[in-house]
Amino acid sequence: MAVEVPMPRLSDTMEEGTVARWVKREGDHVVAGDVIAEIDTDKATMELTAYEDGVLLKILVGEGESAELGTPIALIGAEGEEVPETAPRANGPSQTAPREARAEESSAADRHEPAAPQAGGEAVGEVKASPIARRIAADAGLDLRELAGKGTGPDGRIVKVDVERALGKEGEPGRAAVEPPASERAASPGPPAPVDDEVVDATPMLRAVARRMSESKATVPHFYLDAEIDMGSALDLREELNQALAGDDERISVNDLVVRAAALALVENPKFHRSWHDGKLVLHKSAHIGIAVALDEGLIVPVLRSVEQKSVREIARESRDLVERARAGALKQPEIEGGTFSISNLGMFGIPSFSAVVNPPEPGILAVGAAVKRAVVIDDAVRVRPIMTVTLSVDHRATSGAEGARLLASIKRLLERPVLLLV
Amino acid sequence: MAEVTYREALRRALDEELARDERVFLMGEEIGRFEGSYKVTAGLWAKYGPKRVRETPISEEGFVGAGIGAAMLGLRPVVEIMTINFILVAQDMVVNHAAKIRQMFGGKVGVPMVIRTPAGAGAQLTAQHSQSLEVWFAHTPGLKVVAPSSPRDAYGLLKTAIRDDDPVLFVENLVLYNVTGSIPEPGDDFTLPLGRAHVAREGADLTIVAHSYTVRRALSVADRLARSGFEAEVVDLRSLRPLDVDTVVASVRKTHRVLIAEEGWATFGVGAELAARVGRACFDDLDAPPERVGGAEVPMPYSKPLELAALMLEDKLEAAARSLLAESGLVEAG
Repeated sequence: MAVEVPMPRLSDTMEEGTVARWVKREGDHVVAGDVIAEIDTDKATMELTAYEDGVLLKILVGEGESAELGTPIALIGAEGEEVPETAPRANGPSQTAPREARAEESSAADRHEPAAPQAGGEAVGEVKASPIARRIAADAGLDLRELAGKGTGPDGRIVKVDVERALGKEGEPGRAAVEPPASERAASPGPPAPVDDEVVDATPMLRAVARRMSESKATVPHFYLDAEIDMGSALDLREELNQALAGDDERISVNDLVVRAAALALVENPKFHRSWHDGKLVLHKSAHIGIAVALDEGLIVPVLRSVEQKSVREIARESRDLVERARAGALKQPEIEGGTFSISNLGMFGIPSFSAVVNPPEPGILAVGAAVKRAVVIDDAVRVRPIMTVTLSVDHRATSGAEGARLLASIKRLLERPVLLLV
Repeated sequence: MAEVTYREALRRALDEELARDERVFLMGEEIGRFEGSYKVTAGLWAKYGPKRVRETPISEEGFVGAGIGAAMLGLRPVVEIMTINFILVAQDMVVNHAAKIRQMFGGKVGVPMVIRTPAGAGAQLTAQHSQSLEVWFAHTPGLKVVAPSSPRDAYGLLKTAIRDDDPVLFVENLVLYNVTGSIPEPGDDFTLPLGRAHVAREGADLTIVAHSYTVRRALSVADRLARSGFEAEVVDLRSLRPLDVDTVVASVRKTHRVLIAEEGWATFGVGAELAARVGRACFDDLDAPPERVGGAEVPMPYSKPLELAALMLEDKLEAAARSLLAESGLVEAG
């Protein structure tokens, strides 16, 4: 008997997945543990492993197609086994086809069991549902088989909220924490489209970014601090390092120096380096620094771990690797989690200064502008110096303005005497 | 309304009942001159004298038995057992005599006796002195078991217990004695009926049922959940026998989810009892199976970190609540 391979939950927040690539083809033998496909979640591309031994009988969701969690995307069974005519076929989120297929299967099963359907939803005995879900569905005349495979309870149990969603109700009160934020919800009925505009589905990643950024701006009280940093010595140091490393095909960027400075400054300022968690503070001992990477479509923040323990050269090497793999969509889930601070650098676009949105639960993010030659007064003389403006965005629940100022002062001191970054 | 500690609320109830009815007398270890291990009887020996505030030897079986005899002959003894752990040596008196006499004597004589005793843990009193054994007695027909969580309830229920014609085990809690709250003025002759639960906080998403000190933990977890957008309803049982199932059922019909929390061991406990009753009464209302949470099923360790790990603290209760909400598809699991 063929076993369905459902679209798995590969990240906490994913609601649907896209098949990026089928590693196994129809007819291939698979052993439990084999990677059979790569799935794009809202955050990263993840490997899907088989839980059964057998033959990949049928691929139901092709490469580039999406399916909701729990929807069958393939069938695994015995060699030579016939794929049933009614095999579920998922073409994407609409789900019409599998629903019908399941209904047919169920009615076939019913014919084998002539017992009359009982009141109270017993007719859907093979569908797992909570008692209240059954009752609400029965009262509304909803056939729970329509929700088969879509339950959000344990083992796919259909629970009250699933039935309410299916009936188009808003769900129970107090659902703020789980309902998609307004920014996403507004999109669901479809925005009004003037004739010369086009409406396309946002990618899972864009939706995740939208959700997280809305959540941040709605719940994190931001404040902002600017500092101007004389980058003369840092640029000289970088030049010297790159000349020395030229033969090794390695390059240190300004951003690598900023990452190193931020990590040392965070460890120096423990009253800044902490996160607000629902009435508790998590005190971070080690600086895990996220680097915002712009993608062709979207944004991802891979995390460099324990940066205070790494040399500038290691930081350069690791961050180049992370950025390359971020652009290739090849980051693993753990590589984009657990940051304690982030850096967003738009200096390469010539932006002099900007403010970034805190990436919760991190206490802050540093927005780095371009180093621009400016006339500054030093010892009562006007001099031309490369000045870089940085803006620190801070979660005011986790820490205060004074602590933010101390952190910025540390970063400024380190970058203006960059030899300190090497020790 | 006066703001007093749980301890003082009990003391006032005793004082008022001693003054109201001369058949009422107190008996227990060190409750006179020393005013009780937890000072619940402060000032009463001085006020009412040694005949009505009687010191006993360390002999629980003996003085509970004496209380039973006095009650059968028409007095209203209020016996203090220093902690519920020490009632074990008087178990035969409580379970085999006090609980059964009215029925075995064909209703001709009853035992209008109150046994007051604190349960609870958390002060490194280790395995033999940290137990919450009230369910042993709630299991027994013929006994009433009351376990209030607030000064007001303690005050109103102790007065009712003393006036009750059958034996009542009145379970206090070590950690509750210093909790403060308002109680009515003495002139009001305020009492509360036994066997009525109380909705201590209203909510629509989840019912948390608790008694005694655990009610306060449940309320604090409800506050935490509220910050995540979930409204937990907290039902304070106040009494384990009689058990007010109706109030719990009404709440679960509203919230569709129930978590029963208790300080003692969950196995064969309050949660076991209520889960069975709710499972039947609310079968078609439930969105997830009834869940229960209690202390770790070990003799209480002495070591502070191990004790903290064994206690049914807020984090454990909150995790159980969130897991139940996750089962209903309302929060992400884990």
